[in-house]
Amino acid sequence: MTVLRRTLDTLYLGSGIIAACFMVAILAIIVGQMAARWFGITFPGAADYAGYCTAAASFFSFAYALKHDAHIRVSILLNAVGRHRRWLEVWCFAIGAATATLLARYAIKATVVSHRFGEISQGQDATPIWIPQLAMSIGTVILAIAFWDRLIRLILGHDVEFGSSLEEQGRGK
Amino acid sequence: MDAFYAIAIFLSVLLLLLGSGVWVGLALMGVAWLGMELFTARPAGDAMITTIWSSASSWSLTALPLFIWMGEILYRTRLSEDMFRGLSPWMAGLPGGLIHTNIVGCTVFAAVSGSSAATLTTVGKMSIPELRRRAYPEPMIIGTLAGAATLGLMIPPSLALIVYGVTINESITRLFMAGILPGLVLALMFMGYVAVAARLSPSFAPQVEPLVSLTERLRNSRFLIPLILLILLVIGSMFFGFATATEAAAFGVLGAFALSAGQGSLCRASFVESLLGATRTSAMIALILAGAAFLSLSMGFIGLPRALADVIGSLELTRLELLIALLVFYVILGCFLDGISSIVLTMAVVEPMIRDAGIDIVWFGIFIVVVVEMAQITPPIGFNLFILQGMTRHEITYIAKAAFPMFMIMAAMVFVLIAVPGLATWLPASMAQGPG
Repeated sequence: MTVLRRTLDTLYLGSGIIAACFMVAILAIIVGQMAARWFGITFPGAADYAGYCTAAASFFSFAYALKHDAHIRVSILLNAVGRHRRWLEVWCFAIGAATATLLARYAIKATVVSHRFGEISQGQDATPIWIPQLAMSIGTVILAIAFWDRLIRLILGHDVEFGSSLEEQGRGK
Repeated sequence: MDAFYAIAIFLSVLLLLLGSGVWVGLALMGVAWLGMELFTARPAGDAMITTIWSSASSWSLTALPLFIWMGEILYRTRLSEDMFRGLSPWMAGLPGGLIHTNIVGCTVFAAVSGSSAATLTTVGKMSIPELRRRAYPEPMIIGTLAGAATLGLMIPPSLALIVYGVTINESITRLFMAGILPGLVLALMFMGYVAVAARLSPSFAPQVEPLVSLTERLRNSRFLIPLILLILLVIGSMFFGFATATEAAAFGVLGAFALSAGQGSLCRASFVESLLGATRTSAMIALILAGAAFLSLSMGFIGLPRALADVIGSLELTRLELLIALLVFYVILGCFLDGISSIVLTMAVVEPMIRDAGIDIVWFGIFIVVVVEMAQITPPIGFNLFILQGMTRHEITYIAKAAFPMFMIMAAMVFVLIAVPGLATWLPASMAQGPG
């Protein structure tokens, strides 16, 4: 059990770290593009590459952010139901698990389709689109795993304390 | 298909999901999915993933993680001490005294941070204990802080304006420029209130500051110079057309690193923390945006926004009546949702109404930001109130009461914006054309 727990937690943290690396990549691409412009060199497709990195950073970070309670939700009712909170959380995590699974399913399908038909980006970068889409597939699968993981733990009654991570959620405000 | 039937289903499912605590982004996706399955013959799953992919990988969104990162870096510096030390000698002579450091501090920090929560904590961390020590009235300390922190969302860079721009496909640079003057006017209105309230209130008897010489003042503010330079770099590069919003954000991140290194607060730990913090915040906003992109697609297929815009159009409201109706609507919505969620959730239906009424879409961005920010300082859900509760240990009701005058000033600001639309539209119209 502890091996599985540790593996999953490492998975979420690892995907967060990958997302962070893509954040650094966005910065590098933008700075590179500006530098290229000043030196009169063209950097074709820079905007597209930055876009792919933003997408990859987002998809890889979803599960990691969930783990840290950083995703916004309305918690009035959750706080009001007191000791019944666990069952309301089960409902939320069930909906979350279902939605994330759908997302992962169609993300994989889209990536496979792009690969099979050899779809190329419309932009100057001419990247085969399945490569950046791979990030979407992997990220949404990890998100789905994170939801199922927490849902099962909630139903089994493990680890049912809930942090209200106001500071995390407040950052975007 | 009966539009009202569809609206009723959409709204009730949305309220059920949001109200029960489902994460906003996923709730939007769920409703959109249901709507497409029920009312259209299109394959919902493929449409969903195509929309989410193109919104997540769009160029205009790249500014968001970078601006968040910049704020996270500065949040981990010694800026709050520097800010108080640098600003207080200048404010001491004004009626209302050091209370003004709250407002000016928030205004300055707002110009490097896109979030009102970060603005609030950075400024409040230092000013609350310092002002208390000098016996300033508690409600005034807390109220001005809650109100002025909302400038974080108005003065560029602003996460809410980026989200608004991405949602309606408007230039983020233009929106940023539009936010500057209204933000400064609002700050002046707050300061005016403080000056008047300080004169009228009998309980306003703080410790008198020793007046310091001009050279001493300048010496104390020298720590603020790098911050001012950073602000000029980020906003100036956009205004003069040297850089797009994303490029300005990249300047901002590099500048924030330089500032942090100059102070000696840049180390491995603070770098990693700022990066991971920014990753989490970006993830949170990206999930909401993904949900909202799919929701607007789904509603668009069903024809909801058009139908609602026609209904509103048939009421023949004047422009002022429409704006007041929206003001009330957003303040109520803001009692339950945070600002960014309220904006993305509603723009798909509000945008056609605004365009039909001939309201400038950039101007409306500033309007909506003031309005959702008013909601951030009203109970039951106001993030600024919660954060202040965490910092001061007062009851929410006490803080809300202290912030109420600021709420009224912001309401007045809405009418100033309506009366003088040029406040928001003049700067974007006069800026240089950017590199794309």
